Amino acid sequence: MNRRALAGLVLIGCATLAGCASDGPDLEPRGAYVPQPPMADMASGYVTVRNTGDAADRLTSVTSDISDDVRMHRAAGATMKPVGSLPVPAGGELRLERGGNHLMLMDLDHRPVRGETVTLVLHFARSGPVKLKVPVEATNYQPRK
Amino acid sequence: MRTNRLSAAALVAAAALALSACGGGDDGKQPVVSGTAGSEKAATVLDRPFEKPELVLTDTHGKKYDFAERTKGRPTLLYFGYTNCPDVCPLTVSNIAIARKKLSPAEREKLQVVFVTSDPERDTPKRLGSWLRGAGDPSFVGLTGDFKDIQAAARSVGIGISPPEKGKGGEIVSTHGAQVLAFSPKDDKAHVLYGEDATAGDYAEDLPKIVKGATP
Repeated sequence: MNRRALAGLVLIGCATLAGCASDGPDLEPRGAYVPQPPMADMASGYVTVRNTGDAADRLTSVTSDISDDVRMHRAAGATMKPVGSLPVPAGGELRLERGGNHLMLMDLDHRPVRGETVTLVLHFARSGPVKLKVPVEATNYQPRK
Repeated sequence: MRTNRLSAAALVAAAALALSACGGGDDGKQPVVSGTAGSEKAATVLDRPFEKPELVLTDTHGKKYDFAERTKGRPTLLYFGYTNCPDVCPLTVSNIAIARKKLSPAEREKLQVVFVTSDPERDTPKRLGSWLRGAGDPSFVGLTGDFKDIQAAARSVGIGISPPEKGKGGEIVSTHGAQVLAFSPKDDKAHVLYGEDATAGDYAEDLPKIVKGATP
């Protein structure tokens, strides 16, 4: 409650001063990778999208050069649920990571191997699409936390 | 390790302060930094070890495989998962495969790695075989069979799996086991569990002990 009140105060401050921060979300995707999948029928994908802007955004879809069907999954315990979008909170980040939320690339046109680069285009509700050249890493790759 | 943790906590606190100072529209949904800076042991040693489950299934060659009989007196890793799992299942199997490669040939010979599908309808012996080769290691045993038998066996070793079900979009939602069990060659009981955070390095460190029947 205190926090909320504080945030509210800061927001009022911003409005009065005008130009405290840029308008809208300001997204910065980084650290994207696709682990080499066991077979050609599906792969997972990961990226962290930082939002340094003052408004939230949502990742609404992802397209790729190796799959016509990229889904977004929310991890829920030992299972996963497809979702229509994932939030990128203002001043926060959307983190897709192993064991957590992830992209699922279906019906790949080939099995990408380590060392290859694939394309992912992130589409957002408010910001323009962002095209990423994404490295294919080892099957068990996990970036250092 | 303790200092790492503390400094990580301090960093998080500092970051939180910095964020609220900037007025980042804190709506209470800010993602929290996952605080696993100091790595603790990957293995969980069980106070009460699990007996080997009764599990007679079909292997990747389409042959009958009696789990308790075939792995008797051998160090064995058991994991329940499914091949349409893009994230955790290949990660887990690949971590074990990488660690296995680091064993001596004699140790490698002894270790049995058994992957039992939690989605037997889709995971045919052939598909399991290709997937295990792709995910890590052709020596791994892949088993499929009746879901009820698999679920009962999993339950007997503390692993909960639900039957695959159709999701809203028509896609099939399956579950994987939350842990890998390590059975000792000495008494054929599972004394050790690994969660999905266990890395290839964790397995590489522990497997020589598991092979000997010791606990990490």
